Amino acid sequence: MSPDPALIRMQMVGRLQLRDLVLRSVAAACKLVTPRGDHPGLQEFRLQVVTAVGEAFNNIILHSYEGRDDGLIELDIQTTPDQISIIFRDWGDSFDPDSVPLPDLDTLPESGLGIFIMKTLMNIRYAAGEPNVLTLSKNLDAKSSHAESATDPLGGEK
Amino acid sequence: MTFTVATIEAGVVRLTIEGELDVVTTSELRKGVDKLVDEKPRRIEVNLTSLRMVDSSGVGTLVSLYKRIRAQGGEVVITGLRDQPLAIFRLLRLDRVMLGSAPG
Repeated sequence: MSPDPALIRMQMVGRLQLRDLVLRSVAAACKLVTPRGDHPGLQEFRLQVVTAVGEAFNNIILHSYEGRDDGLIELDIQTTPDQISIIFRDWGDSFDPDSVPLPDLDTLPESGLGIFIMKTLMNIRYAAGEPNVLTLSKNLDAKSSHAESATDPLGGEK
Repeated sequence: MTFTVATIEAGVVRLTIEGELDVVTTSELRKGVDKLVDEKPRRIEVNLTSLRMVDSSGVGTLVSLYKRIRAQGGEVVITGLRDQPLAIFRLLRLDRVMLGSAPG
């Protein structure tokens, strides 16, 4: 029996101190994509989703709401069988992940790594506007066939 | 996140980082890194055995430490990486440069 689709909606002030609360909620929601929460790829899936969502949350606060601590963030967590989508809405400056060139990893960059991590681990869509809407989605089975999945929990979205 | 710095012998220190190194906690570590770099050690062993999670800003701090110590002619060796932090290092291809040998 498949789990029912679920929607969790949160609204918060954009402050980094709330990062842990957001990530714990997302981690818990990852279990909803499988019937009994015992899919063999679930731990790896959850690590990838939490890691990518953490980078997205950082970016909204550090870039969209740079210099502010009163920005509003809405967060939807949508789960369907085998898939999770996390939708961020913010009313700050637009920050399109596609406008940032991917870092040259051979040069040991110290910045720009967050966007790379987000894009590698999840599917990303961004729509600038009022609000800006960033959608991160991932299919549970898409990565469980990854050849390195047994040894590399962040093997990447293929 | 907590970190400790211990002198192993003259010019050799061990930096141990535990917990979650992220955008919230890394500013504290960065101050410690600045102080460490000023002391110009010839070798820093970074023990990450008890590091549970790291994000891009935490990685940036460790890369900064690595590059600055190397620029002074010193050496940085990272040990004990596992789970999510190890996966992040592999994803960013840092394991080839910053780990002394292939991680277990």
